[in-house]
Amino acid sequence: MTAFVLKRLGFAVITLFAVLTIVFFIVRILPGDPAMAILGDQASQEALIALRQRLGLDQPLILQYFDFLRGVMVGDWGVSLVSGRPVIQEIGKVLPATLELTLASLVLGAVVGIPLGVWSAVKRNKLPDYITRMASLLGLSFPAFVSAVLLLLVFAIHLRWFPVISSGQGSTLGERLQNLALPAINLGLIMAAYITRVTRSAMLEVLNQDYVRTAHAKGLAFATIIRRHCMRNAMIPVVTVVGLYLGILIGNSVLTEIVFNRPGLGKLIIGALNQRDYTMLQGMMVIYTLIVVLVNLLTDLTYGLIDPRIKY
Amino acid sequence: MNRLIGLACAGMLAASGAFAAGTTLNVGMGSADAGKLDPHVATSTPDKGLLHWMFNGLVRIKPGEASPEFIEPDIAESWTASEDGLTWVFTLRQDVDCHGDYGGIDAADVVYSLNRSANPEQSSFAKDFEAFESVEATGEYEVTIKLKNPVPSLLGMLVPYHGGNIVCQDAVEALGEEYQRTPIGTGPFMFAEYQPQQYVKLVANPEYYRGEPKIKEIFYRYIPSDASRDLAFQSGEIDMIYGKQDQTWSERISKLPGTKVTVMKPGEMSVLHLNMTMPPLDDVRVRKAFAHAINRDAMVQFKGPDVTLAAISPVPEGNMGYTDQVPTYEYSIDKAKALLAEAGYPDGVTIKAIHTTLPGMLSTMEAVQSMLRDAGINMEIETVEHATFHEQIRKDMSQVVHYAAARFPVADVYLSQFFHSDATVNTPTAVANFSHCAVADDDIAGARVATDPVKQAEMWASAQAKIMEEVCAVPVVQSLQLWAWNDRLDLGAEVNGSLNLSPPVTEKAFFKD
Repeated sequence: MTAFVLKRLGFAVITLFAVLTIVFFIVRILPGDPAMAILGDQASQEALIALRQRLGLDQPLILQYFDFLRGVMVGDWGVSLVSGRPVIQEIGKVLPATLELTLASLVLGAVVGIPLGVWSAVKRNKLPDYITRMASLLGLSFPAFVSAVLLLLVFAIHLRWFPVISSGQGSTLGERLQNLALPAINLGLIMAAYITRVTRSAMLEVLNQDYVRTAHAKGLAFATIIRRHCMRNAMIPVVTVVGLYLGILIGNSVLTEIVFNRPGLGKLIIGALNQRDYTMLQGMMVIYTLIVVLVNLLTDLTYGLIDPRIKY
Repeated sequence: MNRLIGLACAGMLAASGAFAAGTTLNVGMGSADAGKLDPHVATSTPDKGLLHWMFNGLVRIKPGEASPEFIEPDIAESWTASEDGLTWVFTLRQDVDCHGDYGGIDAADVVYSLNRSANPEQSSFAKDFEAFESVEATGEYEVTIKLKNPVPSLLGMLVPYHGGNIVCQDAVEALGEEYQRTPIGTGPFMFAEYQPQQYVKLVANPEYYRGEPKIKEIFYRYIPSDASRDLAFQSGEIDMIYGKQDQTWSERISKLPGTKVTVMKPGEMSVLHLNMTMPPLDDVRVRKAFAHAINRDAMVQFKGPDVTLAAISPVPEGNMGYTDQVPTYEYSIDKAKALLAEAGYPDGVTIKAIHTTLPGMLSTMEAVQSMLRDAGINMEIETVEHATFHEQIRKDMSQVVHYAAARFPVADVYLSQFFHSDATVNTPTAVANFSHCAVADDDIAGARVATDPVKQAEMWASAQAKIMEEVCAVPVVQSLQLWAWNDRLDLGAEVNGSLNLSPPVTEKAFFKD
C-alpha cells in the first residue's frame, strides 16, 4: 500500500512538472499583453516597454522558465502581474470557497443520485424508471448558467429565501449554509444526474448476476440483497465516475461562482485569463493539477475499501 | 412547511446584513475583482470608480459634471497663472487630513504626488505630465508648477482623475508595495477592508474637511455577471448598480419600483479607424464611400436614442475644442457606390477587420458590416478575444479598427492619441493612431502649446476638419454611461456626468427616510 502511494506520488510529481511546463509556454504563446492590461489602453509604447522590463517579461523565455521552476520548488509563486498581490495568498483566500462548493455538490449529488439510480434500476422499464431517466437527462443537458439564473429567480427574487450574492462567508453556520445552498444545488443536481445514470447501469448489470438470484432463492429480504449484494458491487464504476467528475466539477464551478457571485478559483482564473496574468495562471494550474492528481489517487485507494479483492 | 423554511431563511438573510441599512451603501460593479488600488496606477473603470470616492486633487470638477468648465477648488483654495501660462502658483487649504494617522496635507505632499504622477516607474499617466518642468513647494501651503510649454488644460490635469490625485507621502513611503492594496487618500471615504472577489469596504472619513459624510459605509461589490447584478439590485441587496450601455437595460431596470436611472457623460465614442496605408483604403475615394455607407441615425436607433449620441467629429461632442463644422458624409448608398466605381472598384471591395468578441462592441460592428454590404463593401470580421484584439490592432494587422473610448474631455487628448503621427501604431512612440493619419500634425501640436484660447480653438477645429476631409476615421456614435440607484439615495447633486465613470458619492449623499 505504502509503495503504491509513493509510486503514485512520484508519478504526480512528473505530471505536475509536465503540466507546468506546458502551461508556462502556452500562456506566453497566447496573444495579449499583460503590460497593457496593467497600464490600460492609453499607455504609450515607451511605458509598455518599461513595464515589461520591470516585470521581467523582456527576458528570454528559457530564463523566465527556469526562474519560474525555481520559484515553484521553494514555494515562491510570485506576485500577480495585475494586482501585485502574492499569487499563493490570492489562491489561498479563495480555494476554501471552491473546495466547500465542490464537496457540498458532491455530497448532494451522491445523496440524490445513488438512491435514484438504484430505484430506477430496480423499477426498470416502469414509470419511476422513465421519470428518473428523463430527469437525469434533463439535468445533464441543462446549461449550468441557465439553471443558476432560474434558481436565483425563484428562490432569491420570488421567494426571497436566499441572497443573490452568495458571499461564501458568514459568521454562523446557518449563514454559511444559506450562502452555499443555491450554488451547491445548482452544481449538485448536475452531479446527481451523472451519478443516477451510472448507478442505474451498474445496478442493472449486478441485478442479473447469479449470486443475486441465489440470494433471492435463499429468501433474503429485498432491501438486504440490494444493500449488501448489489450496491457494494455496483459502486466501483460509480466511484470511478465520481472521481473523474470531481475534476470536471471544479472546472464547472466557474460559471456557478460567477452567477452566484461566490469567491473561488473559477472567478480567479477568468480574471487571470482576460488580463494575461501569467503568474496567477501558473499558480492556478499547479493547484488544479494537484487536486486532480490527489483525487485520482484517492479514487484508486477507495477501490480497495469497496472490494477487498483489490490489493495494492 | 414552506412558510417555515421561508421565514427561517429570511431571518438569516436579515441577520447577515445583506440588505442595506440606512447609512450603508451597497454598490454593484461589473467586474470580477479589484485591480491595483493605487490612484496613480489604476486605469480600469471599476478601480477608477472606487478611488473617485477616496481621493482629492488640487482642483476638482463639480460633483455631477464631467466638463472642465465646471472646475472648482479642491485641496487648493486659490491659484494664479502667469501670462504666458508657464508658471502656476497654488495656495492650499490648511485643514486637509490624510486618512488614518498620516497627518495633514501640505505642499510637500502635493509636490511628491505630482512628481510621482510624472514618474513612469510609478505612474500609468506619466506621459500626460511630460510638459512639467518642475513642481516646487514655495511655502508650507504653496506649490508652484513650472511648465516647459503651455498645456491645453493644466487645471484639467490636476483634477482627481488620471494622475491628479493627491496622495499622502508618509503613507506611500510607509506602506511601500502595500499601498496599492491599502490606498490612503484625503477624500470623504477611507479604505477599510478588501475581501477577494467580493468587495472593498470604505468607511466615512470623520475628519473630512468638507464635513463628515452621512453615509457611514460603502460596500463596493464585484459582481461580474450582468444578470446577477441586476437580480441583486432587484432583490435590494445592492442600492446602486453599474449598468450596461444598452437602452433595453435602461428601460428594464427603470421599471423596477423606486429606481432612478441616470445617463452620464463622458460618452465612449465609437470610431472606425481606416488604415490609410493599406489598399483599397489608401484611396480617399474608398474611405469616403465607406463614410457614405454608414447610417448614423440608424445606428443611434439601434443602440438606443436615450443612451446614444450621433458622432460627427473625431472629437466627442462636449469636449473642450469640439466643433461640428467639419466635412460630413450623408448616408447615401448611391454616392458610396459611385465613389467605389470612380476608384476602380465597380464590383465592390473586400476589407478585413479584426474585432473583439465583447458583445456591446461586436453588435455595433455587425450593424456597420450590414450597412457596408449594401454599398458593395464586404467587411470580413475576424473576432478574437479582447486582449488579443488590443495586441493585434497595435501590430497594424487590421484594415479597419473599431475603437470605443472615453478620454479626458479636451480635444488635444483624442487628437494626440488617435490622429497625430507620433501615436501611429507599430512605432516606438505608438499610442492609438490606427489609421496612420498625419494630416493634422501641425494643428494638433500648435494647439497644444497655444496660449491664445481663440487661436487654440481654431487650430483644433482645423485639425478636426482635415481629419474628416481625409477620412482618417469615421465617427459613429457616443455611448453614454448608465447607472441606476435606489431613489431613496440622494447624492446631494444633480448628476449629468462623471469623469471617473462612477456617480459622485460625497459627504452630501444620504438615504432619505
